[in-house]
Amino acid sequence: MHSTGGQSPFGSALSRVQLDRRTLIRVGAAGLGAATTASLLAACSTGSSSASGGKATVRIWSWYSDMKDTLPKVLADFEAKHPNIKVENRIFGSPDQYLPALTAAVSSGDVPEIFAPHVRANTYGEQGISADLSKDLGGDFLKDFFPAQNMVDQSNGKQYWVAWEAQTFGIFYNPDIFKLAKIDGEPETWDDLIEAAHKVNAIGKSAVGFASNPGTSALDFFLPLVTQVTDDPTYFLKLDYLTKGYKWTNQPIVDALKLNDKIVKAKVFQPNTNGTSGDQVNQLFYTGGSAMLFSGSWMPNTLVQSAPPEFVKKYKIMKTPAIKSGARHWTADQAGAGWAVSETSKNKEAALELLKYLYTPDVYAKLMNSSYAMPATKSAADQIADPNVKLMASWLPDGCPHIPFGPGSSAAGDPLQKIFDQTATPSRSPRRCRRRC
Amino acid sequence: MRTRRFPVGKSFASFILLALAALTVFPFVWMVLTSLREQNTIFGGPFIPAHFTFAAYPKAWESTQFALHFANSLWITAATVAGVVVFASLAGYAFAKLKFPFKNALYVMLLATLMMPSTSLIIPLYLQLRSFGLLNSQVGLLVVYVSSSAPFAMFLMRAFFASLPDELIEAARIDGAGEFTVFWRVVVPLARPGMATVIIFQFLGTWNEFIYANTILQDSGKLPLQPVLFLLVGQYTTDWPTLTAGLTMSIVPVVIVYVWMQRQFVAGMTLGAVKS
Amino acid sequence: MSASAWRLHRSERIAGYTFIVPITVLFALFVGWPIVRAVYLGFTTWSGFGAPRFTGLDNYARMLHDPVAQHAFLITIIYAVVTTVLQTAIPLVVAVLLANVWSGLSVVVRTILFIPGIVSFVVSGVLWKLIFDPNLGTLNQALKSLGLGDLALPWLADGRTALPAIMLVSLWGGLGANMLIYFAGIQGVDPALYEAAQIDGAGSWQRFRYVTIPALRGVTAIVLSLNLMNGFKAFDLIFVMTGGGPSHATDTFGTYLYSLAFGSAGGSIPQLGYGSAFSVVVMLLCGVAVLVQVALTRRAQR
Repeated sequence: MHSTGGQSPFGSALSRVQLDRRTLIRVGAAGLGAATTASLLAACSTGSSSASGGKATVRIWSWYSDMKDTLPKVLADFEAKHPNIKVENRIFGSPDQYLPALTAAVSSGDVPEIFAPHVRANTYGEQGISADLSKDLGGDFLKDFFPAQNMVDQSNGKQYWVAWEAQTFGIFYNPDIFKLAKIDGEPETWDDLIEAAHKVNAIGKSAVGFASNPGTSALDFFLPLVTQVTDDPTYFLKLDYLTKGYKWTNQPIVDALKLNDKIVKAKVFQPNTNGTSGDQVNQLFYTGGSAMLFSGSWMPNTLVQSAPPEFVKKYKIMKTPAIKSGARHWTADQAGAGWAVSETSKNKEAALELLKYLYTPDVYAKLMNSSYAMPATKSAADQIADPNVKLMASWLPDGCPHIPFGPGSSAAGDPLQKIFDQTATPSRSPRRCRRRC
Repeated sequence: MRTRRFPVGKSFASFILLALAALTVFPFVWMVLTSLREQNTIFGGPFIPAHFTFAAYPKAWESTQFALHFANSLWITAATVAGVVVFASLAGYAFAKLKFPFKNALYVMLLATLMMPSTSLIIPLYLQLRSFGLLNSQVGLLVVYVSSSAPFAMFLMRAFFASLPDELIEAARIDGAGEFTVFWRVVVPLARPGMATVIIFQFLGTWNEFIYANTILQDSGKLPLQPVLFLLVGQYTTDWPTLTAGLTMSIVPVVIVYVWMQRQFVAGMTLGAVKS
Repeated sequence: MSASAWRLHRSERIAGYTFIVPITVLFALFVGWPIVRAVYLGFTTWSGFGAPRFTGLDNYARMLHDPVAQHAFLITIIYAVVTTVLQTAIPLVVAVLLANVWSGLSVVVRTILFIPGIVSFVVSGVLWKLIFDPNLGTLNQALKSLGLGDLALPWLADGRTALPAIMLVSLWGGLGANMLIYFAGIQGVDPALYEAAQIDGAGSWQRFRYVTIPALRGVTAIVLSLNLMNGFKAFDLIFVMTGGGPSHATDTFGTYLYSLAFGSAGGSIPQLGYGSAFSVVVMLLCGVAVLVQVALTRRAQR
């Protein structure tokens, strides 16, 4: 590398310094001192965010980004009415950004006062992390909500969370493509849908866009199938909680899997469903790549945000097809977005105040309308403004209420995905699902 | 004479490099173009948008509170870079040129920092910060950044210092310089290319960090820029014009640092070559 | 030993320890201890609340029988090795080219090539995911317009093409940084060596092979082991582009452990203990990479 001659150019310039040890100690002390001072400064300046100047602080965390512009105003109104409560709102972009922060907060024992429980409501509730809201909010308050059995913890009858946005699933469709493919009306049964799919494929487009990625989304499609086969809206719920007698190898489940397989084989979905993510399949729909889209009641908001305005005006929605003509459609109703309250926070009372305020019918309805979201209470549902959201809300009483995330289903996502890419047959899948759950 | 130049000459090499450069920069061209598109026309339109609009930039500025988070990023990153450069240079020099017992063992231990996936350390680190009362504080984040980045920088600096000739140091010692003076007066001036490299990498790494900032800081006002920009990437929909506008703006300081350090880099390198 | 020599040794020792105090203290508190804790968690079952339950080697036994884990191990190794080979060899060639062209062009191209490294892998992943989109992405649209519609594959949605696509993006992002390190190394090579070789009649290729490459051995060892470690730990890019899919086709240890702790694989009960066990395996793999680097550096110095 660098070649040197003999003499150092610094020889004469340096004086004989004998202070080396002291200098070194100074350096070391400086380094340690800096680190310690920083820590002390931080410890002094950071309080825990529970009380600041006599006010109770309520943290509210979620990933409900459809409300990132509208919720802050509502929270500001609440603060104006309750001068002794300070609200700290944090909306993350997606569950992947949110869950590490929530997990970390839980691990340190300092849980936000109000938080979106994702699929962990019951787990946290049973551990005493989230509060039992049937006790804290009372029966009268909860009566206004659309019935959803998944709200109640099956192991002890308590309710650890409340629904914030109800979610029905349906099939969104593009009437222009229907006209091009010469499809009349809306397909009522699965066979009708298969026929319509053939016509759409014939004009070179995908029929129904569906994102079975991650595997748990495959369960979202499977749920109405099971309910339709059994005509029992509690069947999947019991399977999910490993109730005695409800196994993946039961005949109705096998029949539902066979139906699922038949739909996939008929090329109803776009190719590579397992590799398509939620946002990709939405894009496919509003750019005219697919005639239909299997999705939920959060889609109107998504479409307003991202789709061309002409598209927003023209799309329509229909119910999930039924198993035969005249049978109940059993649209899935999932209430995936909800709120839980921290049991251990010292500001729990303030948090409950805020929660009750958020559900006041006028406040709630206005907030939901401004975000094109679907409320979970009957009184707010009466005030829905957007026709598409209103339509989906009208299906709620006819729905099969459940989110498949209990012990009986979350591990079944993977084997179920194999039906979507045809790497497994309906005869093998039940045993696989059963083994994993 | 049989010496031959590069076959087909430098022009061939230049051609390859230009093609490579074009391919490399293409996604960014897309990114900047997207920031100039109108909302709701991201897909289904031509590559060069029919209508240009700068509306996304003020929107990004306002809705993400760009100025606040930019300032947060700036101070946290600058402090991290300063801390890392100082600590890594000291330690890198020590491991490269000084003799002390257990040196190799300590060096390997410090390298363990590079061996764990950062996601698996989120929770243990969070709990550790809680013990020190550093949760939800920018200083806590700073401490985490310096601690986890300094070993890599030390690795680089050590390699750099190791390439300096021992005679230089011996000569300074013979002239009576103490160890720190040798370091400060003799070695550090020669270390400009190494330090410039560390500054570039560290600035980049810290400026772009996301997950630790997102988890350790609870109050939105304390967050640096990256986590805030990523709020625009939702589960079902992404606000592409605003996001790309925000990203374009956020790249500016990094480019500045890079260009500035590049000159140091080149100056330092030519200095080294001339000296020998 | 003479008195002054002893003093020298002693002051050198003191200096050595003092200089490493700041980095070591910070390491111990905020890296070392968390690593110890993470290793401990690998021997427990823990869901992020309450106390972890000690379960010994259960997690590791489970890993051996978990088909997703087995596949993820394979993908981790493939990804790490392939990206390392590509990201060690190609930047070297590019750096040499850059050192041999007109310096104005060299600076411009160097800057441009570095630009992908300026953004995080999360941003790159998001941008490239769009480019690879089978219906709307510019790649397939360009292929179709060039008449190569048959090549317009569903890149990230097909298990066979997803991993190569991600590796390409990794190379794109890492090229600049690796190239910069090589470039610095090349600048440090004594020009006299090149002159001597040229006088001896060596052509460009021979100069490259017998002067440049040996001089860069140390640097290459470093670049190689860094790329290998980053390959083993890979998470951001893969997670953003495919989430480990489709159907676990691109799941590495890094992405799998994340989804066990924070995501869908954990289901309603986070599996932080099991996830930590994976991080321990990754750490062991990285340890191998470090040993490789040490061995190569020793050889280079001989």
